[in-house]
Amino acid sequence: MKRGRVKRAGRLLGHNAIIAILCVLWILPVVWLVCTSFSSYSGMNTSTFFPKEWSLIHYKLLLTPDTVNQFPTWFMNTFRIACWTCVISTLFVLMVAYATSVMRFKARKPLMNVAVILNLFPGMLAMIAVYFTLKTFNLTNSHIGLILVYSASSGLGYLIAKGFFDTVPRSLCEAARLDGCNEAMIFWKVVIPTSRPIIVYTIISSFLTPWMDFVYSKMILNAGISANYTVAVGLYRMLDKSLINTYFTQFCVGGVLVSIPISVLFLIMQKFYVEGVTNGAVKG
Amino acid sequence: MEERTGGFASIGGALGGFFGAIGRFFAEFGTAVVKGDAFVKLSLLWWGAGYARRKQFAKALIMTLLEAAIVWFTLSFAMSYVPKFSTLGTVQAEQVFNIATMQSEWNDYDNSFMILLFSLFSFVVWAVALVVWMRNVVNVYQLQLQAQQGRHVNNFVEDLKSYLDEKFHITLLSLPVLGIVVFTVIPILLLILVAFTNYDQQHMPPTNLFTWVGFANFSALFGGSITSTFGYAFVRVLGWTLVWSFFATLTTYFGGILMSLLLNSKLTRGTKLWRTMLVMTIAVPQFVSLLLMRNLFSNTGLINTFCSNIGLTGFLRDIGLISSSTIPFLSAPGWAHVMIIIINIWVGIPYQMLIATGVLMNLPTDQLESARIDGANPFQTFRHITMPYMLFVTGPALVTDFVKNFNNFNVIYLLTQDVYVTTDQFMAASQAREVDLLVTWLFNLTQNYYNYKMASVIGIMVFVVCAVFTLIAFNFMIGGNKEEGYQ
Repeated sequence: MKRGRVKRAGRLLGHNAIIAILCVLWILPVVWLVCTSFSSYSGMNTSTFFPKEWSLIHYKLLLTPDTVNQFPTWFMNTFRIACWTCVISTLFVLMVAYATSVMRFKARKPLMNVAVILNLFPGMLAMIAVYFTLKTFNLTNSHIGLILVYSASSGLGYLIAKGFFDTVPRSLCEAARLDGCNEAMIFWKVVIPTSRPIIVYTIISSFLTPWMDFVYSKMILNAGISANYTVAVGLYRMLDKSLINTYFTQFCVGGVLVSIPISVLFLIMQKFYVEGVTNGAVKG
Repeated sequence: MEERTGGFASIGGALGGFFGAIGRFFAEFGTAVVKGDAFVKLSLLWWGAGYARRKQFAKALIMTLLEAAIVWFTLSFAMSYVPKFSTLGTVQAEQVFNIATMQSEWNDYDNSFMILLFSLFSFVVWAVALVVWMRNVVNVYQLQLQAQQGRHVNNFVEDLKSYLDEKFHITLLSLPVLGIVVFTVIPILLLILVAFTNYDQQHMPPTNLFTWVGFANFSALFGGSITSTFGYAFVRVLGWTLVWSFFATLTTYFGGILMSLLLNSKLTRGTKLWRTMLVMTIAVPQFVSLLLMRNLFSNTGLINTFCSNIGLTGFLRDIGLISSSTIPFLSAPGWAHVMIIIINIWVGIPYQMLIATGVLMNLPTDQLESARIDGANPFQTFRHITMPYMLFVTGPALVTDFVKNFNNFNVIYLLTQDVYVTTDQFMAASQAREVDLLVTWLFNLTQNYYNYKMASVIGIMVFVVCAVFTLIAFNFMIGGNKEEGYQ
């Protein structure tokens, strides 16, 4: 009996030790990021994991703009772009989702089929042509161009929200219709209030797009002036070969500062995320 | 059920259904023209005629103005571009000395890109106008029928109100669809057209013209020649893209499932803490975490110092795996390929773990229970119960993951840009590198080398590969899942 218990305790310990090792391995780069941001040395520390001397100086440096680093401006730019993208994308997604889920009209199926085919084109491809076009009209290096790139086609991502609207009981809509509501009132007063989870998910995920994105902002803003950059392009620039020795630690500080709001939002969104990905996949 | 099997399941049927709808649309139009009265027929010429006959003067006015706007658009805008569409312009930009003003001035030159873009735009406008024109005739025919049967004909205010009620979908969809047409459909069509031109650095508007070259760019991609190495580079880049997508998808998929089983096991203490630790790595944006990785694994980075301190570098040199004094984690072929896949495991497993956890929570417990009673060991349970269930639920996501990895720009670009330099002259001649995916290659071609024609051809190839793969995978999966679909 006693030997069995020892064996079980051993298995328990072994099992948790494996998990602990894996998780530490995963978190290690993040720990390195945070530790390095508190280093007093501005280049990359290549000999030890922890900084030799701890200091807050680079937090102060990052928040005081110079010729290369304009982090506060970049942060505000990204924030502004994220707000606009969030408003436009959320509206578009909810509008398309409602029309395809609740309403019945002749063009519904053909439109959904076209959307399936369009979704097979990787977003990058269309963006390259959008880039030639924006360049012809001198709209590259502008925030309006970037907001449009993020949000104009967002209607194509309607399937997750549609899947949710499909579960709203139709009897609710019928009852509202009998009470004399028109379709627009059902949308605002019945379906939207009963769909809070999916609205939160749509708002957060569209707000996060500009924060997490790198390629589109690099494409659109690359040749512009530093004051117009988003966080992604600006931080990427700090690691240029000629700048990395002066700005590496500031890059880490920037990484930490931009991760904090994102992690908060991501933790809120986490439980919708799983549902969204699996649902969206099953329904296409 | 109809809703659930829609979407992906019907990609094959999507085209069929789409053309069916077009057929019905034409049939309706035909009936309206044949059976309509004089005013319906007059509507073919004057869009407002049918409405005017039914005393819907506001609508008649709107349609007349719309018709006028389209005619004006055609005459004043489209006609200055569309006639040049077949040549994409013939007048080269030159500076001419103007005697009257005593200054050098630009001549009235053609801009090939504008001609291409605006011609395409005009075609789209005309296509929309054609649909409106046909739809309009069908509508006024409906009005005629309503009037003949003595039913109520809406006045203007009632018509406006219908856009908040039974026609609310038009109000909802018009802006999103406009966005998709302008920012997805027109660009894709434009990209397809550019693939048939010689738009590159030597032919850059406005100073130079470009023109149609037929399939020359496609033959450059598929055939090799002494002057062009695109064929050579394309085969290698496509090969690596496929290998990468395969391994990136499978490693993170199974890794995520294993991780989630580990975390959710009864033996685990502090599941929530461990899970939060993993999720934290997602919350750091990829441009931060991957750039950090790139520097950790660089030739002068921390990992290299560590490896040389514990003697690993020396050992690898002794057995002949490396020839330099540092381990070229991200800067030599082979090493870089393996490292990219390993780093991607770090990036991808937390996401897949979240998804797998969500799916496994709904795993039918009675099946697990009966398997345990029958004496199945954990591996057998995993092999025969957990995996089939996971595959059934996340199978479609696996296909989309493969396509996403096929186009996974971030991981490759952020890890290898400026770090990896190819030593293969043939690759370098086509501006490709061994670690490039098709998308990073086409990105570099457009951003750094202005080779739009080849980028467009590569873009079309990316679509073809993704579409064919998706079609085959889904048809295969639907075939296998039919039984469960009927339950």
